[in-house]
Amino acid sequence: MHKKVLNRDRASFFVITLPALLLYSFFYIYSVVLGFYYSMTDWDGLSRKFNFVWLENYGKILKNKAFFNSVTVTFRYAILMVVFTIVIGVLLAVALNSVKRFKTFFKSVFFFPAMISSVAVALIWDQVFIRALPNLAPLFGVANIASPLGNKQLALYAVLFVNLWQSLAMPTVIFIAGMQSIPDELYESAVIDGASMFDQFRFVTLPYLVPTITVNAILTLKGGITSFDYAKALTGGGPARSTMLIGIKIYIDAFGDTPKFSIANTESVLLFLVIALLSIVQLTISSRSGVNKA
Amino acid sequence: MTSVNPKMKVGTSMVHNRGETFVWHSLRNITLAAGLLLILFPMWLVLINCFKSLEEASQSFFALPQSVNLDNVRELLQSQNYFRYVGNSLLVTCVSMAVVAVFIPLVSYAIARNMHRGYYRFLYVYIMLGLFIPSQIILLPIVKQMSSLKMLNSWGLILLYITFSLTRGVFLFVNYIRALPIEIEEAAQIDGCTVVQTYFRIVLHLIKPMISTLVIMDVLWYWNDFQLPLFLLNRSRDMWTLPLFQYNFKTEYSFDYPMAFTAYIISLLPVLVVYCCCQKYIISGLTAGAVKS
Repeated sequence: MHKKVLNRDRASFFVITLPALLLYSFFYIYSVVLGFYYSMTDWDGLSRKFNFVWLENYGKILKNKAFFNSVTVTFRYAILMVVFTIVIGVLLAVALNSVKRFKTFFKSVFFFPAMISSVAVALIWDQVFIRALPNLAPLFGVANIASPLGNKQLALYAVLFVNLWQSLAMPTVIFIAGMQSIPDELYESAVIDGASMFDQFRFVTLPYLVPTITVNAILTLKGGITSFDYAKALTGGGPARSTMLIGIKIYIDAFGDTPKFSIANTESVLLFLVIALLSIVQLTISSRSGVNKA
Repeated sequence: MTSVNPKMKVGTSMVHNRGETFVWHSLRNITLAAGLLLILFPMWLVLINCFKSLEEASQSFFALPQSVNLDNVRELLQSQNYFRYVGNSLLVTCVSMAVVAVFIPLVSYAIARNMHRGYYRFLYVYIMLGLFIPSQIILLPIVKQMSSLKMLNSWGLILLYITFSLTRGVFLFVNYIRALPIEIEEAAQIDGCTVVQTYFRIVLHLIKPMISTLVIMDVLWYWNDFQLPLFLLNRSRDMWTLPLFQYNFKTEYSFDYPMAFTAYIISLLPVLVVYCCCQKYIISGLTAGAVKS
């Protein structure tokens, strides 16, 4: 009797997991395998026939200037994003954490950007850049300010600014959560020892935040490297390829006017290798520190 | 004497702190005020300009509207298409969320309570592989797969959301469920409950907080997502979700920006209302999800 019950339970557990196993295998794992496969063909994405070319695409890409331009742009973008996210995120978290009155109000406003769609954020800022900046020009004593999105020196920074405007909320809230786990006694004894506000931050808050900072830095780096929405909606990669992040390049190569589907897949395989490596680093660090998981 | 010294120290440090506290408070308040301005100012501009006609907006971009002119709103709401896009977004978000909210905790329960068996351990590691995979490498082949399956539509999108929600969801729930005491479930099973009954009568009540975290994270993702709908649905106008509509609005209405602003505001409205009602739960739910994953 008991054995029967156990078998019945085992069967229901198995049946429960089956759809997940199938969906995940077909749409997730199989897609990755297909991605690797396409990266070794010469398929343009449209024609019926294509050939298997082994690693030819990888050789082509490594000699391609446009690809290296994208890699440079992407890394500059991602690294700046990490720096700004950590610095501004920690500062905002310290500020928000010490507010006594209107705490909920401040937190709600600062978190608000995380609620809206990235496209809406991008398009609103696009309009602000186009319509508001010329109107603000007299304030700075100049005749006109053009949208930075049309300027190939400034466009990347403008996109980054819009990206940060929205994406800062989450790391900031994580920093606040990290700060609230610091025991109050440490601050009390620091005050008794005559530590200034800055000393308290430097010798109590910051050391306790190191694991949180590390995890946020890696998550932001991954987010920056795979960033897509803002550049797509704001500039589409231009002007003069100055905002051609790797995500945009993959999209254009795959579905643009002159599709090079297999090349796009080669690029995404390389992107996958970078992200996988970063994830391994992230897991190693977080399992060692034991503060944050995955 | 010895008892005076520490007091002196505290006293001096207090005096020394007063000036410093003032500087620190001013710096903090300036930071916060600058942040508030940076966040609210663009939203304010969008809001005031959607009550203006194109003419009025180009004359005075920063001024308050001369009257509460609802022409833009009316025009937008009268176009059949707008409601179609809202409907598409609602369909995709609700169906995906309903399936995910039932399906992911159940799968995680099966995995969490059978970790000693090889198949379930494999399944867990297998699903966690998703942590290493950026969306780009899946998206290109998936478009080809979906197009050969004739699924470049809302249902295809829903199926993908369900699949792509697995990694984070299973990770959160498996760890959460494994931390729960197993004794109650064993007692229920001795009393003759099946696995499914045990789950719905007991486990489900214990994991409610985690379910709300999952719902908040995933609803925001489905509702606001741009990349997946862009890859899958951009060619078929009838199936656009709100973010795709907003994106394509840029090219179609770039000249009539008060109209575009109206469209953004009206698309934001549902999110805004929900956020105002339960921002406390949303922030704490998202934090819990982010800190744990």
